[in-house]
This record gives sequence, C-alpha cells and structure tokens, in this order.
Amino acid sequence: MAFPPINPNLSGPVLTQRIPGWPYADPKGRHVVSYEEYVKTGGYEGLRKALGMRPDAVTEEVKASMLRGRGGAGFPTGLKWTFLPKVKADESGREEDAGRRYLAINADESEPGTFKDRLLMDFDPHLVLEGIAICCYACRISTAYIFIRGEYHHQAKVLEKAIAEAYANGVFGGKGLLGGASTARGGSWAVDCYVHRGAGAYICGEETALLEGLEGKRGWPRIKPPFPAIKGLFGRPTIINNVETLAHLPSIVSQGSGWFVKQGRASSLAGQMGSHGTKLMGVSGHVNRPGTYELELGITLRQLVEDPALCGGMRKGKKFKGAIAGGISMGVLGPDQFDAEMDFDIGRKYNVLGLGTACPTVFDEDTDMVAVARNIARFFKHESCGQCTPCREGSGWLYQLMTRIEDGQGRTKDLDLALEIATSMGSMPGTTICGLADGNNWAVRTIMNKYRGEFEARVRPTFVPVKVSVGAMARG
Amino acid sequence: MPSITINGTPCSFTPGQTILQVANAAGIDIPQYCYHDGLSIVASCRICLAEVWAPNPKTGQVEPQMGGKLQPTCQTPAAEGMVVYTDSPKAVANQKAVMEYLLINHPLDCPVCDQAGECLLQDYSYEYGRGVSRFEEQKVKQPKKDLGPHVLLYSDRCIMCTRCVRFTREVTGTGELMVAGRGNKEEIDVFPGVPLDNDLSANVIDLCPVGALLDKDFLFSQRVWFLKSTPSIDPLTASGDNIFIEHNQGQVYRIKPRTNPAANRWWITDEVRYGWKFVHGDHRLASPMVRQYGTLVGCDYARAYEAAVEGLQKAAAGGKKVALLVSPMIACEEAYLLASLVKAIDPEAVLGVGPVPVRGRDRIYPEGADESHPRSFKMYAEKAPNARGVRRVLASFGPVLEYADVLRTLGAGSGRSDAGAVLVTGNYPDAAWAGDELTGALAGKFVVLIDTLTSAAMGEADVVLPSATWAEKDGTFESARGHLQAFERAIPPVGLAKSEGQIALDLRAELDRAPARVSGADLMVVNTTPGQVAAAVEVAPPRSKAYAAAAVRAEMASRPGLDVFSTGVRTPEQPTAARTDMPIVAL
Repeated sequence: MAFPPINPNLSGPVLTQRIPGWPYADPKGRHVVSYEEYVKTGGYEGLRKALGMRPDAVTEEVKASMLRGRGGAGFPTGLKWTFLPKVKADESGREEDAGRRYLAINADESEPGTFKDRLLMDFDPHLVLEGIAICCYACRISTAYIFIRGEYHHQAKVLEKAIAEAYANGVFGGKGLLGGASTARGGSWAVDCYVHRGAGAYICGEETALLEGLEGKRGWPRIKPPFPAIKGLFGRPTIINNVETLAHLPSIVSQGSGWFVKQGRASSLAGQMGSHGTKLMGVSGHVNRPGTYELELGITLRQLVEDPALCGGMRKGKKFKGAIAGGISMGVLGPDQFDAEMDFDIGRKYNVLGLGTACPTVFDEDTDMVAVARNIARFFKHESCGQCTPCREGSGWLYQLMTRIEDGQGRTKDLDLALEIATSMGSMPGTTICGLADGNNWAVRTIMNKYRGEFEARVRPTFVPVKVSVGAMARG
Repeated sequence: MPSITINGTPCSFTPGQTILQVANAAGIDIPQYCYHDGLSIVASCRICLAEVWAPNPKTGQVEPQMGGKLQPTCQTPAAEGMVVYTDSPKAVANQKAVMEYLLINHPLDCPVCDQAGECLLQDYSYEYGRGVSRFEEQKVKQPKKDLGPHVLLYSDRCIMCTRCVRFTREVTGTGELMVAGRGNKEEIDVFPGVPLDNDLSANVIDLCPVGALLDKDFLFSQRVWFLKSTPSIDPLTASGDNIFIEHNQGQVYRIKPRTNPAANRWWITDEVRYGWKFVHGDHRLASPMVRQYGTLVGCDYARAYEAAVEGLQKAAAGGKKVALLVSPMIACEEAYLLASLVKAIDPEAVLGVGPVPVRGRDRIYPEGADESHPRSFKMYAEKAPNARGVRRVLASFGPVLEYADVLRTLGAGSGRSDAGAVLVTGNYPDAAWAGDELTGALAGKFVVLIDTLTSAAMGEADVVLPSATWAEKDGTFESARGHLQAFERAIPPVGLAKSEGQIALDLRAELDRAPARVSGADLMVVNTTPGQVAAAVEVAPPRSKAYAAAAVRAEMASRPGLDVFSTGVRTPEQPTAARTDMPIVAL
C-alpha cells in the first residue's frame, strides 16, 4: 500500500533535529546535546530573536501559529498566556511591574504508553530550556519550575546538568537572559529555572495537582475557578505548559508563525481550530518498530503503523484490532477506526475523548480486550487521588467488577452496571474536580462498547434457568 | 437585595455567599458532607452538585451554565438571577450515585455505631440514596485507630470529607491529622508519635458527619436518640462558650458545642467538653450538715437553715460584721439573692468575690495567630464563668472586695478582724479552691458554706448546704467576651442539693419567719440530745418562693446599675418546630 509522503511540508525534523531517529536517521546516533553543540546548531537563536520583540508580540506570534498544548487537552498556548493579568505600560512603552509570576513546566509524563517528552529531556534538554526562556520572557515570568515525574531519575539529572550549563553560560541567572542581553521591553529579563522531582503520582500531571505538589502539599487537584493564570502557584499568576509545547517555541519564534501554520492541517470540522505543527508520537504495542516519531499532525493511524518508514506494520503480520489513541484516558479506537487521522479533531470524529498525548498503543488480533479494560481500570483505581467521592469509590468498584468479569465470574447485568458506574463517575460532566474519572470512564466505556461481544462471551446470563425435577413443573 | 431561585423558591442573598450558604440560610435542603461554615471549601464530596442556570449577560436569556455541567453549590458563588435545581433528573442521579459510592465501602454497623441517629450518611441515604446495594465485591477494610486522648478513629466508616483534617490545619493550626494513602485505600491518620492532642481536639468528633471519629468518653454509653439536649453555657471558663448539655434521666452524658457566631462559633475546648464530670462525681455533698460538738453531722434543711440564720444574726447582733464571699462560679441571679439576704441580716455586710482561678495564659488558635485572624479561637486562662457578672451584681449593693481584700478583712495575716460570720459559696469543679489562706481566715468565725464538692473549707464550716451545679439550675453568666448569657436547667439537682438561689430564698424566708434571736440562750444545744442527730427535732420548714432565674432577673432589673438584666441577657434560641416529612392528615 502506497502512503502519502511523511511530513510533506518539512525538509527535516523540527523538535528532533538534534536527535537522530526514524525516518530520517538511525537512532543509534543519539547522545545528550551539550550547550556548545546546541548553540553551534542554531540553538538559542529563537530566544535571541524573541528578546528583540516586545513580550506581547511574542505572545501574538505564538497565538498566530495556532500552537495547541501538547500535554493532552490541546488548548491553544497563546490564548492561555493571554489569560494572565494584563500588564499596563505608559506612553514610552515602560511596563509596570507585573509582580511575581511563575511558569510550571509539566514534565510529569505518567500516562501509560506515553514517552514523548522523555525523548526531549533525554537528549536535547536545551531545546526545552530555550522554550522556557521564551515563555518566561513573553509572559514576564522570572521563575520557572520543571515538575518532572519522580520515576524520571535520569532525565532529571540530564536537565539539571543542562540547567547548570545554561547558568554557566548566562542563559539563566541574575544578569538576565542570554547574559543580560537588552530586550525590546527595555533592560534585561532575568529568569531562574529549577527542577522539582515528583513523588510518583499520576495525578500530579493534572495542572492544579502539579501546583499543589510544587508547593509541597498532597497532590490533590484544586477547584477551579480561580484558574492558575489568575491564582496559581503560591497564590500568584501561573502558566503551566507541557515540555513538548515549550520545545516548539524556539522554532516558531525564529521561523515565524506562518511557517508553523503550513504544517499539519486545518480542521475539517466547522469552527474548530486546526492542528498545526509536528507532534511527537510514541508508538508502543504490537508493531514492528515501536518508538517515538516526529510527524505532522493529521497523519492517519494506519500510515503510522503500516508505513515501512515508520512502524513498519503489525508485528508478525497480525491484524489490527484496536489502538489506544493517545494515552489510555482518551479511550480506544476500534478495528474500523484504523484510518483515524491523528489530529485534534479525533475526539469528535471517532468517539474518543481526544488526541491526548498522541502516543498510540496498538493491539493486534490476539489481544484480550477484557484484560485491557481490567488493566486500565486497575491503573485508575491505583492513581485516583481520593479526593472526590465518585472517582475514589467508583474506580475501585469498576476494577473489582472488571476483575470478576475477566475471571468469568460476571453476569450480564454486571456489564450494564459497569457502564453505569463509568457513566455516573465520569461522563456526566462536573461530577469530579479533575479529569481523572473522565479518563477512566472513557477508556473503559469505549472498550466495552467497541468490543461488547468479547465481554458478553465472558459472562454468564443473569438468570440461570433452574432445573426442576419434581412436581408439575418437572421437565425432561 | 439580589436573589436567586433554588428549586423554585426565591431566596435573597448577600454577594459573596455561595449557593449552598444561601440554601442553608433559607432552610432549603441540599445534601452536604464536606462543607462546613467554619472551614475552607474543598468541594470534594460531590453530593451538593446542582444544575445551575444563569442569565446570559449578552442576551439576558437564562441558560445552563458551563454547558450544563453539574456544579458544586458549596463552591459556586450565587449571582443575581441564577436558577438552581438540585431536584432535576441529572442532579438527583448524581446524588444517588454519590450515596451509593459512599456506602459501598462503608460497613453496615449502624446498630453498634455511636453516630447512629445523628449520622448524615443515614439521613441522606434515607432521603437521597437507593434502597438496595448493588455492590457484590469485597469491601475495603481499614483499621480502628487511637488518635489521641479523646478521639478514636474507625477508618472504615470514614467518607473522606476531610473536615477534621482541615480543622486541625485551619482552626487549631496544629495540623496533626492528614490523609494517608490514595484512592479508596486512603485514610485519615496522624504521624507516628504525634497524637491528636490539642485544646480543641474533640471538635473533630462533632465535625465528623459519620461515625468515623468517636468520643472515647461517650463511646457506647448511650444511644443518641435517648438524649435530651438543653442549651447551656460553659460553666468552667470565662469564655462563655455556648453548649448543649445532652442528658437522659437526670444523668449528663456529654457536652456539645452550640453554634454562636458572636462567641465560640462552632467550637468548644476539651476542658469545657469534659469538665462536667464533677456533676456526677463521688465528692458531691449529699445533704445539709451542721457542726455539733466539733463535728459536721448530716441534718435536714430546716435544721441547717435555722442554724445558719441564727449564727449569722448572732454575729450581726454582737457588733461584728457579716461577710459574703460569692464565688465566680455561680449565676448572677444567685449572687443577687445572696447579697440581698446578707444585706438584710447586716446592712454593713462586707461583699467580696471568691477566688478566680487562672491557669496559664490566654491562648489563641490557630497557633501563632492573633485575634484578628478570621478563624481565631481564644481559650481563656480565667477558669471561672462569671467573675464579671458577680462583680457587677455585688457592685449594686456597695463596694466589692476582691478575694485578697476579703481575706485581709477576715484577718488573714493580722489575725484581727471585725467580721464575725461569713457566708461562703463554692461550686468549683475541684476542691483546690479552698486553700490554707482561706481556712486560716475563716477560723474562729461562724461560717456558712454553700458548696457542691467536699473541700478543706468544710473544716471551718459551721453549717454546710449542698448546692447544685450549673446543669441543675437556671441562671446567667457574664463572659469575658462581655456577653450576659442565660442558661437553662438540664437535669434535676443531684441528691438533696439545691441551687444557691433557692438556698438564698429559703434562708430569706427563714430570716423573715424567725424572730431575731439575740439572747445568749443557745437553742440548738438545748434542743439536741447528745449523740443524737438533730433531725429528730421537728421544725416546720420555712415557706419560700421557688427560685426562677427569669423572675429574679426581672426583679434585679429594677435596681440601679442592674438594668442590663432586663434586656441585655441573651437567652438560648428556641429550637424551631421539628420538621416532619409526613403530611398531617385530618381524620
């Protein structure tokens, strides 16, 4: 089967330009990019260009690029930045002090099947740092915290080393960005950057739970409003962005929003924002060549899996049965949805929650979907923070039900009950503070609906006919 | 005033109130577990969710807010024109689901649970839950824990509303409690070696909407539906905390805080909560006593009254003064009656205030905060409920001596005194009040002691009259916060005890009945056979009025300086008529 060209609008990778990998190069050449190498290959030029622009102009550029958050929800990044309190300026363009603001970088990449931010932190940490610096300048933020997943020991070390390099070379620190370079805003702009390691809770990837974690508290999501852009970390305006989102900023600033908008595709749905730029897609599961690929949004799942330049087909030539589109909380694409386009419209078009992290886990025909559902339910039961009643109790109940069904102890009515629990826990909007219950519900509900037959084959009928051997009702 | 509509009922509100606060104020039932007026809002129990419609600012059309998402009423601020439904199909479905979720891991041990009968889980299960359980799996089992000196935790009954955790963080500032674990295995816990031990610790028991946090003192002692609840005032400290005395058949079982935003708000200290034990203590004085041949012997009231009045009168007639020592533990009305009595016996009588116990310093919670803190709670070092009220009442009769001055007047130190008789009241919760300096000063004088517990003062007393504790009488205390607060009688007096007010009225009747005995003849000795109890002598009891605090207050108010007692006394709010969900049908 012939596939359209990969990344038709690009001559080479963007985020992974310093990280060799398919389809452009052999991953064996991967190494941690040092400050010197990063600068030699055009690094920190985006930041230099940004400092020559007024902060609002940088924000406008990002807004014009239609960059959408790469953490899962796909919220427009530039729009998010404009939610910060406005900073007033006098006629000469001198801005008043914006007060303390924070940038929290969400590096708590704990979604099962997702390993995209990891690639950047593993090999090209300065790309992330440059993005942080640009965001801090555009949003007038002077302190950035990288909240990194607790299990990412190695990545935390790489980042810390890179930050030390950046400080030593004047990128960060008291003198100002890029050694105190003057900015279009007037004067220099100093940023401090820290790495904060999480303690291993999935929920801390939720933005407000992440803030609680940074403050040293238990990772319980906060009630919104107030939104973090108004009252976030330590009660101050805070921007929370994903690692990959920030890594896009240097190239957007240096090459312009027009360049970025050319990549990807406009939305096929009326009134929806398009899906532009490239996306890191980490493919796992039953494919020949799992790994992280940088691809323009809009590529079909089929091409991702079957293109010889990419994953190279299903393992052992088995048939495609389904795939988790982007992190398990987004739900499952069924066997008839192999041609789904990997872009931000996927949620509306294919009855899943959304694109998520765009890291598909692919299942072949031998996969036991009941076990998949049970495993997913187990994950959410384990990671429910326990704050809201429906999620705390519902996730545990759902897991027990799934276990029973998998063990063949379930009855038909249990299937309906499981669907009802999933619905009342998650899909009825507003039942919980954060989206964890939604994720649980979408994952389990889409699997149960799309593979109902497998579930029904595992359960006994609710009403077992009783054999009567004596009396008038006796039958043969 | 702006208004919103909740389930079809229009309610006005003040801006800043949340929907749930408006509903609570208007008496509209919205189920709620994690919300509490005195604590921060977490919106985590999710049972108060409602459908909220609000006018679109552009079109003025009333539309579902947030795209029809259910919203926590405890957290959503009320806004003009909002229409809230907690009885819509969606909201009801959520209430049902939350009730089911809360119950799946909740043990069905209501029959042995102390909270049964005042349990929100029971109430809401009845009102909003489903009749049967669909949960066939294993329940999560969790341990019982001893959290501190007063509190037990039955973890498996806990519904994780975190009211108790927020209380220790926000009100006491001590932060002993925390949530440990995650998901449905999480539990409330303390750090090893750091028990829940602060001056307000037992309030978490009241905060707990279910039977997870229980009172060690009240554990398994009474089913709550047998308890009667009488509004009262803290009898042990100057704070004037509003309380309920919960009792049954003349026995106090526990003290609970009564909400009063101007005084204690929702909390009371543990010393107030557990300070009632002396009411049923072993050292209560059981009957009146008079001294015969150097020994106190039990007698009846008539005999004791006669002896008391005779002794006091004799001292006054002998040119000596009568002194009255009013303890700060008794009510204003009683101080008034006692002062009137003594002044009737001896117009020159010396009036003084008994010892006012002070322990340590005033303490303000949360720890490290001052009184300007919005959640501050002050614990008073002064351990007497009514020093201010007693001073106020006595001052209307003449100069009031403080305790040290009273002792000096009685001749402590110098040995010289022009007082010949002393009427002393006690009613302290422990016997330590009567120290050596008091017994020394009383020595050699005719002493009438009105007290509840045995103490060293009895050694100097010639007549002892057993008095009733605050739970056994009406009255008014004036708190350090400057409130005059009335309390009601909860239980009948224990044993033969009578309130100080009744004793004062009886003595007054005795005084009015008997002609002044001024001769040297000692009637008591003449009438008593050696070795025989005086009760053998038949004396007609004095006929007196019954003590009623409200009547005394009306009388007091006419006295200059005491007019505050006509209107300035806060009486407990009468409970509103019990709501019933059964329609009354005319037959």
